[in-house]
Amino acid sequence: MTALAPPAATGGRIHPRGGRSGVTWMALPALLMFLAFGLVPLVGVLLLSFTTWDGIGQIHPSGLTSWRNALADPELPHSLFVTFEIMIISWLVQTPISILIGVFLAAFKRYRGFLAVLYFIPLLLSSAAISLTFKALIDPNFGIGEGLGISWLKQNWLGQPRLAMGVLIFIVSWQYIPFHALIYQGAVRQIPTQLYEASKIDGATGLRQFFSITLPQIKYTIITSSTLMVVGSLTFFDLIYVLTNGGPGDATRALALEMYKKGFMANLMGPASAIAIILVLVGLLLAQVLRRLGGRGDESQLEGM
Amino acid sequence: MNDSGLSRRNFLGLAAGVAGAATLAACGSSGPSSSSGSSGGAASYWSLSGPPGQPYRQAAIDRFNAANPNSKITGTFYQNDDYKQKIKTALGAGQGPTMIWGWGGGGLKSYVDGGQVLDLTDWFSQNSAVKSKLLPSTFGAATVNGKIYAMPIETVQPIVLFYNKKVFDQVGVKPPQTYEDMIALIPKFNAKGIAPFSLAGASRWTNMMWLEFMLDRNAGSDVFNNVFAGKPGSWSDPAVLDMLTKVQDLVKNKAFVNGFESVVADQNADQALLYTGKAAMMLHGSWSYGIQVANGGDFVKSGGLGWMNFPPISSGKGDPSNTVGNPGQYLSISSKAPAAAQETAKKFFSTVLVDDTEKSGWVKSGGVPVLANSDSLYTGDDAQYLKDMSSIASKAKVFAQSWDQALSPTAAETLLDNIAKLFQLQVSPQQWVDNLNGVIGK
Amino acid sequence: MTTTINATGTPTRQTQQRERPSRGKKLLKMNWIGGSLGWIWLVIVIVPLYWIVITSFKTQANYFLTNSFEPPSHPTLDNYQTVLDNDIIRYFLNSVVVTLGATVPAVVISFMAAFAIVRGVGNRWLRWINNMFLTGLAIPLQAVIIPIYLIIIRLKLYDSLLAIILPSIAFAIPLSVLVLRNFIRDVPRELFESMHMDGATEWGILWRLAFPLTRPALVTVTIYNGLAIWNGFLLPLVLTQSPEQRTIPLALVNLTGQFGVNFPAIAASVTLTTLPIVVLYALGRRQLLSGLTAGFGK
Repeated sequence: MTALAPPAATGGRIHPRGGRSGVTWMALPALLMFLAFGLVPLVGVLLLSFTTWDGIGQIHPSGLTSWRNALADPELPHSLFVTFEIMIISWLVQTPISILIGVFLAAFKRYRGFLAVLYFIPLLLSSAAISLTFKALIDPNFGIGEGLGISWLKQNWLGQPRLAMGVLIFIVSWQYIPFHALIYQGAVRQIPTQLYEASKIDGATGLRQFFSITLPQIKYTIITSSTLMVVGSLTFFDLIYVLTNGGPGDATRALALEMYKKGFMANLMGPASAIAIILVLVGLLLAQVLRRLGGRGDESQLEGM
Repeated sequence: MNDSGLSRRNFLGLAAGVAGAATLAACGSSGPSSSSGSSGGAASYWSLSGPPGQPYRQAAIDRFNAANPNSKITGTFYQNDDYKQKIKTALGAGQGPTMIWGWGGGGLKSYVDGGQVLDLTDWFSQNSAVKSKLLPSTFGAATVNGKIYAMPIETVQPIVLFYNKKVFDQVGVKPPQTYEDMIALIPKFNAKGIAPFSLAGASRWTNMMWLEFMLDRNAGSDVFNNVFAGKPGSWSDPAVLDMLTKVQDLVKNKAFVNGFESVVADQNADQALLYTGKAAMMLHGSWSYGIQVANGGDFVKSGGLGWMNFPPISSGKGDPSNTVGNPGQYLSISSKAPAAAQETAKKFFSTVLVDDTEKSGWVKSGGVPVLANSDSLYTGDDAQYLKDMSSIASKAKVFAQSWDQALSPTAAETLLDNIAKLFQLQVSPQQWVDNLNGVIGK
Repeated sequence: MTTTINATGTPTRQTQQRERPSRGKKLLKMNWIGGSLGWIWLVIVIVPLYWIVITSFKTQANYFLTNSFEPPSHPTLDNYQTVLDNDIIRYFLNSVVVTLGATVPAVVISFMAAFAIVRGVGNRWLRWINNMFLTGLAIPLQAVIIPIYLIIIRLKLYDSLLAIILPSIAFAIPLSVLVLRNFIRDVPRELFESMHMDGATEWGILWRLAFPLTRPALVTVTIYNGLAIWNGFLLPLVLTQSPEQRTIPLALVNLTGQFGVNFPAIAASVTLTTLPIVVLYALGRRQLLSGLTAGFGK
């Protein structure tokens, strides 16, 4: 075998001998599972959106009534806005911090073990546990602010829209930055030092190296990490539900919560199903966009070495 | 082959073993535990958890099971807001409990419309002894379209203005006699760093109590009666706009505790604010007494807790004796349960739920039972409170049902949502009225 | 500097070991931002954890009276006792069963599917299946919870742990397949071909070649899914009802209702439910980290 395989340029293209049907069956268990609990319910929700049902009695087909109800509600655009707000801001907060910490971790050998354990703990806690803990901590009357006498901490964190959103993003970041930092750490350690050597000879400074070498080399990691982040934030429910339940008012009422409230609390399963379909469409759109970005991953990053 | 750690074989073996064990464990503990056809009429019962009620609900079930070992009742308890959602999911897919606990009114009506509950009118006619043991006023919320679909149980719960006597003494003020007095107290408490009113703003139905009383004291019961009757545009009465503006004024004047928007009633956090002296007053349901006894140490025992009916508004048209709250709690029987289970439920209704232990139990919980002739039991530490509650409930010219329970769940959700926004100053009184008018009759 | 392909199929630099310290120093110098951020972040992580632990040893009365951040003057184990009395062990076991029972099958079948998709390039069916999974990425659980609920009822699985496990597996598949597929794609084709020419079956290639090479991604996917399922709230909320089937997140929320503002008790429940996981992680960390960092970043 040659020491270095030729770039895997033939990676995604058609093999001269044609596809392998011998492997198809391997995909079947996953397919079946997914069909049963993913696709079939999806069709079910689509059908439900054309009915009127209060969740208790009979399901009545009702054409576009539920859709009209859902689309006419001003809460719908609002919750879409909230969802994107959360998604974008948490990405903006998490990605840079994770990359920086990841690079730091990659270089820093001492205490790596100890740090790693500590960093990972937030990820191990359930969203419910974290929300409850922070809720208690920032309680203006019984929390740290009161305990330490720091009045800045006694603010109405969860009672004011901007602050509540901030707290939410902070908690999400608290929980997930460690994970992404670890991913980036792994990616950075993979970067061949030759690149840095070469650039040093050309006179590049640390900052320049960071932007011209580090970042491009971890491009696919950024995409994978961002995929996880974005897909994850679209489906945030538990954290928001326990922390603010969409409040104050509707300041943190993301789309998933709006759907839940409409269906399970206002007994409007039809419109809730319509919102569910919208949720799916938004997700589909995002998946497509991310696929475009990540789809060129066939080239090996070692090309040209 | 890289050997650090798990080899392929070990991994596969581990995977298979784990998955297999997990599946077995999962299956072993499976099976719907609810009402679907077990032998001998075993029945299920869902209700709310926590003080003060849960121990007494469990006690009733235990009493019944001791006397009826062949047709036992299993009780499951959920937190308030959790329960409201859980019961709907369960009913929606035919997996509800035999006995459905609720607040009557609009919620009950949605069950009736869905064909989920038994018509008990005839049963009550045949069992007039049972009916006569219950206070007649409690049947209102159990009646839909002229028929009775639930049995009144537990306690009558008017909403009451509680106050911390110690805090009042500390600040040197007297309990208010009128609404205007009450408003004048706000700056006095704020000046001393004590919140005038505790409020569980995150739960919303606690905020609603304010609107209910302020509207009633201001304009009487007609407005809401019209809304309830489904008359279009009923919310457009000028008294409503006035009341809404007053509410927002209260918020702007910092009448409510800092951070009220995130205080959750289910955690009894609002009561904690009162009994720890961080707030001076609190408008809440009469069941709060039992919670404060349970959680507040010796706050109640040492005489720290005061209570009164919501004070009258000087220029208001409403009768000052009016009150609002839960005329009772209600237990319905699922129409989808097997016949034997339904019979067990009926037996439960006619025996344990109306016996003397039940009555004295609820009295001990700090509540006025729906069972008649409880007055003789009002003794001991809680005597004065119980007498006052009983008096408020029986002397009220109008005992209105809480709005979110009287209305349908759909309208109720819009109501609560808009109330939250009102307190958040996110919606104007006129917008509030328009939004609510939009769901009248829905 | 020689370049070889080591056993895991990734090119390595033989001299990397010797070079790392100096590169480390260089990176460290330029990355003081990252450094200080790292330390700040550590504090941000530790503070709430510290708070949870010390609060769990205070009595409720004490908690309200003393400074939140002071260690307890009279530490007590009462809260832990209360929590244990409230059946927390059972809820913990439920969570373990659900997490293992869902994660392992999910990763295994996703791995098989990813392998099939990469190896079977050109096959129409597999391309279709691939697109199906990509579409699946877009389906959030919340959107289809009602129909899933109805399906579970029909299968007579309501109020069982299996009711949580099955949909969890299904929802773990799309992302797992995506990540695994991307990773397998980077394995040089020639490796597969040579094994195939040696007469190995696809199944054999799957386990003897692809599995070891893909291990980093498998570890990542397992952890990610495991954590997601462990944290799962909506599925247990809707698909189970009796306390016997409760998992940890549900139990915690339930306990808060019960404990009200009894923060020490809440803190004890959080600590108790997390401790075993933390211990597990501390023990298995080396294994995890080597897997995570060995080849990720492709």
